[in-house]
Amino acid sequence: MFRILTYIVVCIFCTKLSVHGFTDVKPKGDPEYLKKAALQIDTLIANFYRNKKLPVPEVTDDATFMRRAFMVTIGRIPTAEEAWAFIEIEEPNKRVDLVAYLMKSQGYSSHMTNWAFDLLRLRDYRQGGQGNSEPYRNWIREAMDQNVPWNEFVDQLVGSSGNGWDPKTAAVGYYTSDRGMPLDNLSNTMRIFLGTRMECAQCHDDPFGDTDRKDFYHLAAFTHGQGQLNQHLMSKLWGELRDERESRGIEYQVGQLFWDRIYGMSLGGGGDGRIELPSDYQYRDGKPGEVLGGKTPFGKFTRTSDREVSDDGREKFSEWITVKTDPQFSSVIANRMWKRVMGKGIYEPVDEYIEASKTVYPELMLYLSTLMKDLDYDLKKFQNVLLLTKTFQFATNPKPSTLDGGDDFHGRKIERLSAEQIWDSLITLSNGDPDRLKKRTVDNRIYVGGKPVLVGEMDMVQLSNEVLALKSEAQVRKYYKEFLERVKKGGGVKSGGTQMMMEEVQKYGANSVVRASELPSPAPREHFLYLFGASDREVVEAASKDPNVGQMLSLMNGYVQKNLVNKPDAHVYKSLKDVTSSHEKIRRLYLAILSRPPTEEEMKWMLAEVESAGDQAYRNIVAALVMSSEFVFLQ
Amino acid sequence: MNIHHLNRTDELTRRQFMLNAARAYLGVHLFPMLGTSIASAAPAAVGAGGKAKYVIYLYMSGGMSHLDTFDPKPKKKAVMGPTETIMGKADVPISGYLPKTAQVTDKMCIINSLSSTQGAHEQGTYVMHHSYTQRGTIRHPAFGSWVLKLAGPIHPQLPGFVAINTPPAVTSGGFFGAKFSAAPIGKPDEGLLDSKRPDEISEGNFDRRLSLADKLNQQFHTRYPNADVKAYEELYRDAIALMKSSDLAAFDLSKETQATRNLYGSGNFAQGCLLARRLIEHDVRFVEVQLGGWDTHYDNFTGVEGRCKEFDQAYAALLTDLEARGKLKDTLVVVATEFGRTPEIKAEHKEGRDHHPNAFSCVLAGGGIKGGVKYGLTDTSGNKVKQDVVSVQDFNATIAYALGLPHDLVLMSPTKRPFKIADQGKPITSLYT
Repeated sequence: MFRILTYIVVCIFCTKLSVHGFTDVKPKGDPEYLKKAALQIDTLIANFYRNKKLPVPEVTDDATFMRRAFMVTIGRIPTAEEAWAFIEIEEPNKRVDLVAYLMKSQGYSSHMTNWAFDLLRLRDYRQGGQGNSEPYRNWIREAMDQNVPWNEFVDQLVGSSGNGWDPKTAAVGYYTSDRGMPLDNLSNTMRIFLGTRMECAQCHDDPFGDTDRKDFYHLAAFTHGQGQLNQHLMSKLWGELRDERESRGIEYQVGQLFWDRIYGMSLGGGGDGRIELPSDYQYRDGKPGEVLGGKTPFGKFTRTSDREVSDDGREKFSEWITVKTDPQFSSVIANRMWKRVMGKGIYEPVDEYIEASKTVYPELMLYLSTLMKDLDYDLKKFQNVLLLTKTFQFATNPKPSTLDGGDDFHGRKIERLSAEQIWDSLITLSNGDPDRLKKRTVDNRIYVGGKPVLVGEMDMVQLSNEVLALKSEAQVRKYYKEFLERVKKGGGVKSGGTQMMMEEVQKYGANSVVRASELPSPAPREHFLYLFGASDREVVEAASKDPNVGQMLSLMNGYVQKNLVNKPDAHVYKSLKDVTSSHEKIRRLYLAILSRPPTEEEMKWMLAEVESAGDQAYRNIVAALVMSSEFVFLQ
Repeated sequence: MNIHHLNRTDELTRRQFMLNAARAYLGVHLFPMLGTSIASAAPAAVGAGGKAKYVIYLYMSGGMSHLDTFDPKPKKKAVMGPTETIMGKADVPISGYLPKTAQVTDKMCIINSLSSTQGAHEQGTYVMHHSYTQRGTIRHPAFGSWVLKLAGPIHPQLPGFVAINTPPAVTSGGFFGAKFSAAPIGKPDEGLLDSKRPDEISEGNFDRRLSLADKLNQQFHTRYPNADVKAYEELYRDAIALMKSSDLAAFDLSKETQATRNLYGSGNFAQGCLLARRLIEHDVRFVEVQLGGWDTHYDNFTGVEGRCKEFDQAYAALLTDLEARGKLKDTLVVVATEFGRTPEIKAEHKEGRDHHPNAFSCVLAGGGIKGGVKYGLTDTSGNKVKQDVVSVQDFNATIAYALGLPHDLVLMSPTKRPFKIADQGKPITSLYT
């Protein structure tokens, strides 16, 4: 028996390893280094208890550890097979092995993507215009998948410019999706990456903080000038086409494609480095219309000239954020990751930076921020260290933190799962491991009037690169004309080509049974995810974990019933095949849903249920387990 | 969150409130004895408010341009762009984008002098919905939760607070706890999703499931005595009571005639307004319906025109329909938004307008509010408030006042900090008949 189990365990844990294994191990990323770092954190936490004369929390049991580790790392419950394997295997090191297994799972980047989308307010569509955020969305998704170091990630976003379709520059979506509101975009940049709140100073001196409106405009100078790349070359042509727009013919549609989806999604210049004070500027230290150069409010001083327009304002700004605000930049991301893994931030809210010396545990905060830098901002390795600590394994503590707005390091706080974690877990139960499915990809096809054209001949990346490279009005007109003719001649769809390309495009609609990270963003209002509090992604991290009556109804009567409980071929029932003993069936359902075996008392309840309800009993048990608080709370 | 504190707050509310109500009544009426709802105990005595029993709160999310809707400046072509001004009933001028609303201005009180200190969406929306500015350390209850807390629900099973097409972040019970959060509706057409037992499950099996889940939940809660866990357990009971309620039809728009549905128009917002009317008819206390898309930084006039099309017919229909049914007198219909938009038109953003918290407009109608009235004044270009400035808190206090709720009653949060439904706001009592 044991040998079979071991075999299964090896299979499950290792197939993935070989497929998705990472090879680029950095010197500081080797397992010994990570272990040492974890030990260092545990030592600091132990000192904390000693100094406060507090008892050290116990370490939690295997099942709780497993579920916690799965949820935190890959955002879903273990499949029945994974749970079974981990519980059964008797290996002294199995917790460490599990962490390694999870780190290599596809699910890791899916779970991180939800986090990044909430942070960056990723919406597939923005109001007005025909542009979309698909290439930008994909850029973020890929960055999470490739575990791009956080400082590089931020650098590429904040310092971006160029073509919105080219995968190399698609990060421009960071600015283009906020077009028309560059000041809000700047406030958000300061908030999410540096934990500095400046929203107030957009309009007036902050009465509670120390940011003046002028400081804000000095910062805004860096990123000012977020227009389209070369769009003026098409202005006249577009004006003519618009005047005839009543006809809405193919001429207009191709024009719209160029104007909105190519020029409209591009970001020109590199940041002016200067900005005018607004017409309602109200303080004595400046006049409306006065031109300011860029000046940073803290960190190592960076500036731009107020005399002439520069073309590297955004790059200077991003360099300042990631290099010159030390230790603020590293502390904010280290604290965010701590919260992600441990449940509570060392300081909260995580987007209001506090100097290490003013936090509840300066030594720990300082260490974490240093560790973040030592690991070269590798978020995966950083989380890996935290997952290896004893601190992560502490038993659940149902009491809220005793410290105002931060972790009291006294056991895991109980907390409802995020909407995405619940969804991803439910689809694991209904359809099995969701990470075996393909990721969503960008639809790079060229659409004219809602239909793909020139499929197999040309895609949006090539077309947009060509259009954006045009240097004069005449060139634009010529290119437009030739392209128009080509589309007309091509007659829309080429036979054979569509199918070939379709295989490469992986789209998922709102009804798809896939990871939340692959679904339309934000989730539609009638979607399970939205009901359970997924962010609408209009503002930063707007997700809610509040329960409401609609959620209860959904678990009792809705999606869960239709797609899981009453679906005979749901994955969860597959593990019951060929099992005859009701005892074993109940045990497997428990492992699949709650990731633990039933207690003796529970076994009695469930056996009684089987006794009186017969075959229907297993459905009732599945329904009850999914409805239970234990299913939706992280312990 | 600690349960004991919550219970204590509960107790405190009731006692303090009764005490306040009693004081107000002394010498005027005999104290209407326990058993009647608290809301009906407080009204008339405090003044002329207190005629409203229900609130339909229509929120224009994104910052509705005041100039292009309720505060047009016909003489200032430069700030108006292509927006025209028409004369509504009772000689109330209004934007040309709102022709149907112009037919019901005699029922409306337009407040042109709102002014907010919050110029970003998240913060602006937060203060409108909570009366307090957003803090990292506390979650304030939403306005609808306050109403529910102070006035109590009317219907015994239906939720007292329903939010249609509204993000949960602004309809949370905050430190009052989850039972004061709104029941969410995504699509009005679909009503309250999943409120019926699926046909394929027999009642017997359904009950067995519930009783199994109940056992599991109790066990879990004993193991982890925690307020959030407890809230889940309680909400299940509410959900089951709701399922068994004979008034579930309140959520079912198919019970309306096609003529009525057409009166409101198509689209989520229009049908949401109709659903709101149905809900208050079934004694739901507070219904919020949102209409998004008002953030017209870019191409303001096309944007506003589109939004107004969604709004105009539905809003006019709602007031007309409520009046025809005799419900306008005890239903306060609110139109609110987080801020207005700049008089300045940004050519480089395709004729866009930016955020403008200094001066903006909201509208009240029904529930004892005077109709055909404009309150407050902005300067000639709609840039600043010139007369009768109304803070967000004043506005919320005015709504509380319409309901006869004590806007100055202090409740303590679990962290022992004092809060009021409208913070330091003072109601504008002159708006009431």
